[in-house]
Amino acid sequence: MRFFNVLGIFFYAGILILIGIGLIVFSLNIVPPDELNNLFVYVQNNLNSRIAVGLSGLLLILVSFSFAQLILGRFQREKTIGVPTSSGELTISLSVIEDLIKHFVVILPEIKEIRPDVIAAKKRIMVNLRVVLKSETNLLDVTNRLQEITKAKIQEVLEGLDLEIILKIHIAKIIGKEDKERRRKESDKDEPSIPFGGYGKFNI
Amino acid sequence: MNREESSTDLGRIKIHRNVIASITSIAAIQTEGVKSIGKNFSARFHEFLDRKENAGPGAIRVELDKNGDVRVEIPLVIKYGYNIPDVASKVQEHVRASLEKMTSLSIKDINVNVQGMEKA
Repeated sequence: MRFFNVLGIFFYAGILILIGIGLIVFSLNIVPPDELNNLFVYVQNNLNSRIAVGLSGLLLILVSFSFAQLILGRFQREKTIGVPTSSGELTISLSVIEDLIKHFVVILPEIKEIRPDVIAAKKRIMVNLRVVLKSETNLLDVTNRLQEITKAKIQEVLEGLDLEIILKIHIAKIIGKEDKERRRKESDKDEPSIPFGGYGKFNI
Repeated sequence: MNREESSTDLGRIKIHRNVIASITSIAAIQTEGVKSIGKNFSARFHEFLDRKENAGPGAIRVELDKNGDVRVEIPLVIKYGYNIPDVASKVQEHVRASLEKMTSLSIKDINVNVQGMEKA
């Protein structure tokens, strides 16, 4: 699997580098168009070279197709949890767990924003939470509470499935009061002033 | 194969797969904890064109094999706060009971695919 990934990366990098070199060569006028034309004519006239070029094209399409399938298959496999039941199969999309986290996180007022990312592996799910916190919060306290609540809620919703839950919290940013005030001032600046807006006000 | 066929003394009875999908859809929606039936590309496209009569029962897939067995795949959106395996199990039981009662077909698999979670 790893070998195919590396092969695919090298393949696409190689193709892009060749296109880049071709464009540079064209722009610098290093190879005259006549020579290119002669090369194409030679390839066209020689049966062996035509077969070689055709087979290379076919190989490129096959490699590209298999790599795309590999990537798409892996995404699909990682994005669902499948559990066999007596009546059929139960498949749970991992976006369900992401939706769940976004729903319940409103009970923690210290959290300004949360971006969950859930990945499934064998008999376990890994939850990565990218969090933006409000200022003046105790980080340890908030992260502990977030971990407890997230784990409890996921277990509650997926109760009955034997899954290990691994949680990772990444605090991406802490929004301070200064940020809030700066944003408020910016929004005030944006509002256009009304001409003669001061008339009609009485200062007592 | 689009229709499940059975013979009686008076003639043949054909049940279209859309009928099976509709029964499945109604039974699933009536189960506690189910918010709605999920949608596939085709259902979304018909909804976009405002052709609700062609949208069908969500994205429920019905497969009929040569032995007369029926396999149903139901995409679901579940209400927030409900236990997913519980709801899925209830849907499977409810759908199986409804299909067996209304069509007398042999139901092989009822696969549930939970696509989303929304507040009730």
